[in-house]
Order: sequence, then C-alpha cells, then structure tokens
Amino acid sequence: MMEKKYRLERVDYLLLQNPVLERGLTIAPVIAAGTSVKNGLALSLAFALITCATIAAARFIPRRLPYTVRVIFNMLLASFVFIPAVLLTEWLLPGSIFNLGIYLPLLGTNSLIVQKSESRFGRLAAKEMLQQLLGLTAGFFLTMMAVCTLRETLGRGTFFDHPVGIPFTLPALLLPLGGFIITGFLAAALQALRLRVNSDAPAPPPRQDPPHKPSVSSDLPAMAGKKPVCP
Amino acid sequence: MLHIGDLIQETFARSVSIAMTAIFVENILFTRALGVSATLFVLRKDHDRRLFCLVLTFISAVSCCLAALYSKALGRLSFGYYLRLPAYVLTVGLVYIAVLLITSKLPARHAGRLKPMIHLAAFNSAIIGGLLLAGSRTYDFWGYLAFGLGTGIGYAIASYLMSLGYERLQSDRIPEAFRGFPAMLIYTGILSLAFYGLIGHGLSV
Repeated sequence: MMEKKYRLERVDYLLLQNPVLERGLTIAPVIAAGTSVKNGLALSLAFALITCATIAAARFIPRRLPYTVRVIFNMLLASFVFIPAVLLTEWLLPGSIFNLGIYLPLLGTNSLIVQKSESRFGRLAAKEMLQQLLGLTAGFFLTMMAVCTLRETLGRGTFFDHPVGIPFTLPALLLPLGGFIITGFLAAALQALRLRVNSDAPAPPPRQDPPHKPSVSSDLPAMAGKKPVCP
Repeated sequence: MLHIGDLIQETFARSVSIAMTAIFVENILFTRALGVSATLFVLRKDHDRRLFCLVLTFISAVSCCLAALYSKALGRLSFGYYLRLPAYVLTVGLVYIAVLLITSKLPARHAGRLKPMIHLAAFNSAIIGGLLLAGSRTYDFWGYLAFGLGTGIGYAIASYLMSLGYERLQSDRIPEAFRGFPAMLIYTGILSLAFYGLIGHGLSV
C-alpha cells in the first residue's frame, strides 16, 4: 500500500494535482487555443521553456526586495525568456505561433510564474523545485494533449492535420465553449479518480482545500496570512 | 472640415462601440477564457468579487491608456511583437505600484480589503490579455481607454453570471465527481454558448 501511495505521489502533478484540471491554473490557453494537436505541442513546449527557465532564474532575485518588486521582476524575466522560447517553438514547429495569437505571450504571465514562483518555488530546494516543475509541465502537456486531441478529432475530423475518417464532426468543440465543456468533463473524470484513490487509501490525510474547490488561496500571499511587503 | 462637436460625437460613438465589443463580442472570460482561476477564487464572497472587478477595471483602463502612448511606435518596429510583452508587463507593474501607493493612503480598514485584490488583479491574464488584444488593433487613445474599460466591465458581467450558479454547483445534489470546479467549467461553457448566440453568431454546419 505504501509503495502504491508513493507511486501516486510521484505522479501527483500529472494527474491528481494536475495544475489545469484540479486548480484551473493556466487554463486559458487550453480552452481557447487548444484546438489542434499542433497548437497543443507548440503551447506545451513554450510553456515548459518559459515556466522552467523563469522560475529557475527567479531564484536569483534577492529575497530582501519587497514582494511587489519581486513579482514585477519575475514577470519581466518571463517576458524576456518568452523571446527565445518563441523563436525555438517557431523553429521546431514552423507557422505555429501565428495560430496562437495572444496565448503565446500570455504564457509569460501564467499563474505558476505570477503566484507560485513566490509562494512555493522560491522556498524549495533546487532539486525539489525541479521535480515539481517537471511534474507540473508534464501535467500541463498531458491535459493539453488530451483536450487538443479530442477537439481536433471530434471538431474537425483530423489528427495532426490528417483526416481520421470519422463520419461526423462537431465544429462547436473548436469554440471556447467546447474547450470549457471538454475541460470540465476531464476535470470531472479526474475528480472521480481522486475520490476513488482517496477511498482506497487507509487513512487519507485531511486536505487543506476540498477537491471540488479551486485552491488558489494558497497562492495569494496576503490571503494565506503571509503579508507581502508593499511599497 | 469637421465641427468640434461632430468630432466629439464621432469619438464618443466609436469609443462606445469599442467598449461594447469588448464587453459582449470579445468578452474576456467567455470568449477568451482569461482570468478563470481568479474568478473561481473571488466568487466565494460577493464582496470580494465586486472589489476585485472594480480593481481589475481600474488597472485595465489605466494600463490601456498608458499603452496607447507607445503602442503605435512599438507596432512600427520589425521586432515589435517580441517587445510587446515586456512593455506591457512594465506598464502594468507601474500601475500596480501606483495603485498600491494610493491604497496605502486609505484608512487601514479599506486598504486591508483592497490590497489582496490588487495583488490578485494586477498580473491577472485578463489585464495583460486585454492589453495584447488592444495592441493588435489600430485604436487611438480613446479606443484604448474604451477597450480597457470594456474589458473590465465585461469581466464584471461574466463573473456576476458565474456567481449566480456558484452556490448551486457546490450543492450535494450535484454528483460528487462533477461538484465544484468541473461543474463550474461546464456551466461557464454553457454561458459562453449563450453569449455566442446573443451576439448573433451561427455555428457552421
């Protein structure tokens, strides 16, 4: 049982604590721009590069600076990391950045960078931070791919721009409303899995946040009792 | 030659049209899915939601006004696309600091309530997203202001509509797997569909 629990903890960010499906973090690109597998790959690659590089570099921002200034520095760092990340994405997946509109630059202001880099990652040891970041980016990739595959296949009848020969398509799935609904159903599937895992566990530890509520409160320093230093 | 009254009337009409576009046609939450996680957080308390919308609208409008001053020059640069994000981040950062400084002058009771909302709203994707959208158009100063205000008002309307379903979707009568966040996403999708119909779109068949 302990071994099973350990295995589950290792894949927590992939599934049970998936940043998109459990917390709604960085959900906008998934819902609005995740309409094809190619878009999904480009967004996941850019997300991984921007988030990992920014959070790693943010460790060098002095902690003695006020919270407000550190947040602005984090964001500026992300917006400069965005430049090579976009160039690399465009080199690997030519033509992809034009389909992503505002969602590619918006990855530079994702919740993991704005909120978590200060409240969580800045306090972790480098190795643990790297493990969590890899788990979170892998979780984002998994969700993005699931949503993109469903929407492209059912909405357009293609996979990676190749026809899959299904007899009907649902074009509405390519609209943001389709993204909301598909992501909602995936979140429900994940919640069902989480409930099942928790009911299997002998004595689950009490959660800070109920599984059905977004746990953004822990991301807010002022609301979590850690008063930020304001100018 | 245009009379000054006609010019004011024309500018006003154009600004109202841009604001209405931002509120309904390009609603930042329902059509762009921006600011969803923050919305789900502030929905828990009506007072927080109202305060958050007020702060977001203010920061969005002021940031858009500042961005209007340099956006045309940025657009003329061949590498302007890459510089937009740092420029907007810097702009929002300045507004963020200014708003915090102004808030610190308020009585402690009000400042204590406002500050968490300012921290949450300042770098919300709705604000940067609004700036990126406005920057991709050819608006003048008033157009930027109208778009910034419209973004905030559209967000306020969307979050109000979401708050109407929030309590019900936490209810025990909802299947446990769907309760809370998943049901809210599906509900938002249905609201998004309603907005889509409201503005006169037809689905391709």
